[in-house]
Amino acid sequence: MNGSKSPSGSPGVSSSPSTTARPGTSASLATSPNMNPRELGTYTKNTWCPGCGNFSILSAIQTVLASMHDEGYPLENVVIVSGIGCHAKISDYLNINSFYSLHGRTLPVATGIKLANPDLKVICFSGDGDSLAEGLDHLIFAAKRNLDITLILHDNRVYGLTTGQYTPTSPLGFKGKSTPMGTEELPMNPIELMLVSGATYLARGYTHGIDLLRKLFRDAIMHKGFSFVDTLQVCVTYFNMYETYNKRVYEVQGNDASSFDEAMKIARSWDYNNMEAPIPLGKFYDIDKPRFDQVFPGYEPHPVDRDAKIREVLDSLI
Amino acid sequence: MPAQLIAGNSAVIIGAMYAGCDCFFGYPITPASEILHEASKYFPMVGRKFVQAESEEAAINMVYGAASTGHRVLTASSGPGMSLKQEGITYIAGAELPCVIVDINRAGPGLGNIGPEQSDYNQVVKGGGNGCYNNLVLAPNSVQEMCDLTMKAFDLAFKYRNPVVILADGVLGHMVEALKFPDEAYTPSIDTTWAVCGNHETRPNLVTSIELDFSKMEKHNFKLQDKYQKIRENEVQFETYMIGDAEIVLVSFGISSRIAKSVVDAARKEGLKVGLFRPITLFPFPSKELKALADTGCKFISIEMNNGMMREDIRLATGCANVDLVCRYGGRLIELEDIMKKIKEVA
Repeated sequence: MNGSKSPSGSPGVSSSPSTTARPGTSASLATSPNMNPRELGTYTKNTWCPGCGNFSILSAIQTVLASMHDEGYPLENVVIVSGIGCHAKISDYLNINSFYSLHGRTLPVATGIKLANPDLKVICFSGDGDSLAEGLDHLIFAAKRNLDITLILHDNRVYGLTTGQYTPTSPLGFKGKSTPMGTEELPMNPIELMLVSGATYLARGYTHGIDLLRKLFRDAIMHKGFSFVDTLQVCVTYFNMYETYNKRVYEVQGNDASSFDEAMKIARSWDYNNMEAPIPLGKFYDIDKPRFDQVFPGYEPHPVDRDAKIREVLDSLI
Repeated sequence: MPAQLIAGNSAVIIGAMYAGCDCFFGYPITPASEILHEASKYFPMVGRKFVQAESEEAAINMVYGAASTGHRVLTASSGPGMSLKQEGITYIAGAELPCVIVDINRAGPGLGNIGPEQSDYNQVVKGGGNGCYNNLVLAPNSVQEMCDLTMKAFDLAFKYRNPVVILADGVLGHMVEALKFPDEAYTPSIDTTWAVCGNHETRPNLVTSIELDFSKMEKHNFKLQDKYQKIRENEVQFETYMIGDAEIVLVSFGISSRIAKSVVDAARKEGLKVGLFRPITLFPFPSKELKALADTGCKFISIEMNNGMMREDIRLATGCANVDLVCRYGGRLIELEDIMKKIKEVA
């Protein structure tokens, strides 16, 4: 029903009637041949700090969405969901169906949207505080269910919106406003966690490598199943890591993305703590596994038939 | 002790330190984060425990655990975080444990914004979580009271083995005023009659909120209600200003009461007989005192930054149906002129 690929091989174009452009509303989106990614911007005043890595994420996703549009994918079928944190303002800055959700609850909201309307392409934006602290349980379950949604993690490793406290990915000894003597906790490795939790697509990007970022975002969105892109996004105000990252990042080449063990090895080669270790970027893992939205008990999408079905069930009870 | 200029959120931690608070568990949220920051700075210096938890639910459950060991425990948050803490708070109330929770109220509903509001009144004064329970609720209106009432909150929490909420707002948390530091610091001792301390003496003590036997659970509820009644009879605290001959009484708490007080002065200059009644305890609510005022025939105007949540309590207390309301929402403070206008309408 949904998610069937178009003859040209363009991603996820559905043949169901509900996905055709509604006249007068978004027809221009669906018919113009080439979209300028800037058309996906809004007039909302941008309040991210100058130099914030979020600008690259916004730009990359605009490019990816514009290219999807150019290939015939109707953008009205895309919904983005954000949580709470600096990242979440992307809902205000991206001219597309968006849901500015609760702190930590990005994934439950996205789960609801995806299950209620499986035709939609659901892309979540979340922060390290949002998904790895407040909403960690939801993150693990989204991976476990392998629901067909994408999570782009704005991993700046600090709470920016509340002005500089440590998060689950801050390195040991990080001095923030709530850790004046330095944090005494080791950071968690979200990619390792997602791998063991059942995610089927794992990648790491960096906001200073926009081409790779676009490629990974696109790849993750096209992936069928739960895809997770840990995006090293620098907070210039509270945790400026540009210099360290610029020196340490490299793109993995020739790895076997279907191998759990190899993915684990790459994931573990940087522990988010060691400032001297090389930091791998790129696609680490990409496999196919049954998805929650596939195995979820079928429902009847047409209301008339559904009424008949309900009557049938009720009659059987008499 | 000389006075020092300090922000309200900092004053909370000074009060907590002087009150012998041992543990702070919190999660960042504007406009309450400075309480977290101050605790992180000072608590470890004096051998006290501080954890920035992974969520508000985690923080309140750390409070639950630490409180069960008989220690003085504090957490702080704001509206959305308070909603999340409700699960833990009802368990703490059910298990009859002492703790202090500071709510630096921001505008809602939902995410709202970080401006001041008093809209958490219902969720803290009326319980908020499941079951029949009450928090004691104290409403400071100055930086001095942010400190003093935090100290008092610990005393009340231990006196009644009950959660105590300090209900303040974004303005009180951030405004800077002179604070006279407390005269002496309190060194608490653990009450081993109920706490679980991991030793032989406290081994028989049980901390729980579950009771599967219906009759026993009902008995526990009766016991809680008796406690709340005792609190109503003994712990009411309020302040009045020029109510002796007042024909119109403004009822207001927290930051709104500061504005209301200026209005009383302005109204008196115009020859209007206006006074101020400020509940300091919102639970227990000063019902008897308001009823006595109502019996003198005065009119009431409730001044609050919500949709009249306290007005409902004034109505219940006084039996007056026509209690007027001046309110603002969304982070906006109440304007002096709006109150004056209402006074002239009512007079």
